[in-house]
Amino acid sequence: MQPRKLTLGAALAALSGLLLAACGSTAATSKATLNVGGVIAITGSSSFEGGNLFEGVYPALYEINQAGGVLGHKLALKQVDTRGDPADALPAVQQMLATTSNLVMVAGVDTSSAPTIVPVLNSAHIPMTTVAGESVYDQSPYPYFWRLFPPDSANGTAMALWAKKKGYNRVAAVFGSDPGSQGDLPGNVQSLKALHIPLVANITLTPGQSSYQSQVNQLIAAHPDVIMTEADSGTAGTFFGELKSLGGLVPIIGTQAMDTPPEISAIQSALGPTDFQKYMSMVISAPSQVTPAVTAFNNAVKGDASQIGVSVSQAQQNPFAVVYYDGMIAMALAMVAAKSTDPKVFNSYMSKVCNPGPGKTVVYTFAQGVKALNQGKQIQYFGASGLIDFNKYHNSYGNQEAVSLTSSGAAVPLGTISVQAIEAVKVTGVA
Amino acid sequence: MSGQLIASIADGVVLAAILAVAAMGFTLQFSLTNVLNLSFGSVMTVGAFVAYLIAVVHLTPWLGIALGGVAGAVTTVVLGRGVLRLYARRRTQLFEMMMVTLGLSLIIDYTVQAISHNNIYGYSVLQGSALEMGPIRVTPVQVGIVILALVVLLATWGALKFTRMGKALRATAVEPGLARACGIPTGRVVLVTWVASGFLCGLAGVVFVISTQSVDYTTGEGFLPLVIAAAILGGVGNLWGAVGASLVMGIVTEVVAGLGQGGYSTVAGFAILVVVLLLRPGAVFGGSEDRQLVL
Repeated sequence: MQPRKLTLGAALAALSGLLLAACGSTAATSKATLNVGGVIAITGSSSFEGGNLFEGVYPALYEINQAGGVLGHKLALKQVDTRGDPADALPAVQQMLATTSNLVMVAGVDTSSAPTIVPVLNSAHIPMTTVAGESVYDQSPYPYFWRLFPPDSANGTAMALWAKKKGYNRVAAVFGSDPGSQGDLPGNVQSLKALHIPLVANITLTPGQSSYQSQVNQLIAAHPDVIMTEADSGTAGTFFGELKSLGGLVPIIGTQAMDTPPEISAIQSALGPTDFQKYMSMVISAPSQVTPAVTAFNNAVKGDASQIGVSVSQAQQNPFAVVYYDGMIAMALAMVAAKSTDPKVFNSYMSKVCNPGPGKTVVYTFAQGVKALNQGKQIQYFGASGLIDFNKYHNSYGNQEAVSLTSSGAAVPLGTISVQAIEAVKVTGVA
Repeated sequence: MSGQLIASIADGVVLAAILAVAAMGFTLQFSLTNVLNLSFGSVMTVGAFVAYLIAVVHLTPWLGIALGGVAGAVTTVVLGRGVLRLYARRRTQLFEMMMVTLGLSLIIDYTVQAISHNNIYGYSVLQGSALEMGPIRVTPVQVGIVILALVVLLATWGALKFTRMGKALRATAVEPGLARACGIPTGRVVLVTWVASGFLCGLAGVVFVISTQSVDYTTGEGFLPLVIAAAILGGVGNLWGAVGASLVMGIVTEVVAGLGQGGYSTVAGFAILVVVLLLRPGAVFGGSEDRQLVL
């Protein structure tokens, strides 16, 4: 019986050895997945912001993972729902920070939650790519904050410049009282002043009211020849519906934030398709020319279609999606350039892999970037949204464009407002 | 300036008309059942969505108005008889019942949100060219809303004053035990009250979205504070008071907005409520702490 016991013992030992070897082999060949926090309103009235983020981040993750990941690590998105409310956002983010291993960056932070969440993420040394437009970030003190989107003040200035170009000389400003809608107003008002265009009415709409009849009558009495506006979709729908009913329609210029499906749908419903096309225009980030980066974005959207759930054209027309995509690709290239997935190390490489400079190799995709970096070259990632050139406050934005929209929501270019023209307008008193 | 003031007062009357229809329904139900029904706004939303669906299938908006009211009545009866009465039988207290209605409100809101995919839908019906009378500029549909509110007021007041059911309702509201002892079928009275207040609630939801020209899952929820404020300001159970309070709140809100202070317009309306509650403490629950649920 003794030999049999020995044989069984030897077999168990051999099996254990094989299992250990197998485990060791696995650990040696695959690296842990890195997590990207998608901190955004996924439910609630601002849930469209979540849609914007997913339309950009999922294609970027698809492209990165298809190219082998970052330094051998695959990337995955962890959705964190802020509900568009700082009170919900803070515990959700704290839970994410406490429970998420290998968290390397955050995409998002919606406008309403940004003042609460940005300092928290910065203190935790988590880099973030955001589209929050508040002017307070124009001179951001947060080293881990990166914005590839025009600040609200710049958008407001671009709107004023477009009004001047069109020869309007009696402007009415109609903005919601919520923080998200108020962002463009100071820059807009100060730019109108700088350009000597009279502001004949400055009307504030408190969201969620049953009627804006008094404000509509106030607007009509001021006889503007153009309205500049931003308000949440419900408020905008009610206001412009009443304005049309009372016969006060004049051309309307919306901010970049009005170029989202809920806003477009609400105003289109209020005005009707004909008047919508006749009166409504918006000033938005100028779409990039068709470059290999745009093609890569389109291919990634197609490749990950089941995850994203929108068509290529829908994603392409969404400026927020394209910017989220670029932010994600740029951050991944920063990790590769730094040869590290430690945010404290790779964070400072964002500018290095994006900003133009002498001797840099221009790359349009993640794979191109990795290849160039592996060859020891310095790179400039030229994004699907166009040139990325961060200033010392980690802000990057380019030209803006006035567009009208067809009934299907497709943008029709009306004219470009260059970033040089925007920066040439000397505005004062805008934080 | 005076022209602007007159225009704002006219706008306030239109807002008051919408508010009055809802406040009458709310005060009717509150005075009888003593339930501070926080699901009232959500039922308004249901009525509004039914009217919207009628418009989607290209049926006459008048049918939408009627069916919106019916939807409000049906939903309210289901909530009142199917849910709230169960809690009342378990001796749920007034405050607890208020929390139950808050829960029901959330359930309805998020159900509508899920079904409507969180979208805002345009609802542009019965709109016509604006009518100008000096500084006043109103649309025909707004005139219609004011007339509708007056009709509802007179019809409800007449029903309460001159019909057997109206008298029974008033008796039950004052002293339910005594009313029952006198042979008044209080159960039926409560049912009729749920139907009537629910119909007015649904109707208010439709009228509200005819004015705002859009509907989404938060439609009624946002309007509810004003409705409750008007009902309390007017004195619970007082139809004329509810209409008068609606007028005050509507006009103050629009005049403040007309002065260029749109951000403070609703605040100004509520400031009146705060002052009134200071002068008439205990206005909620009729000033009596020993009111019981009547369901």
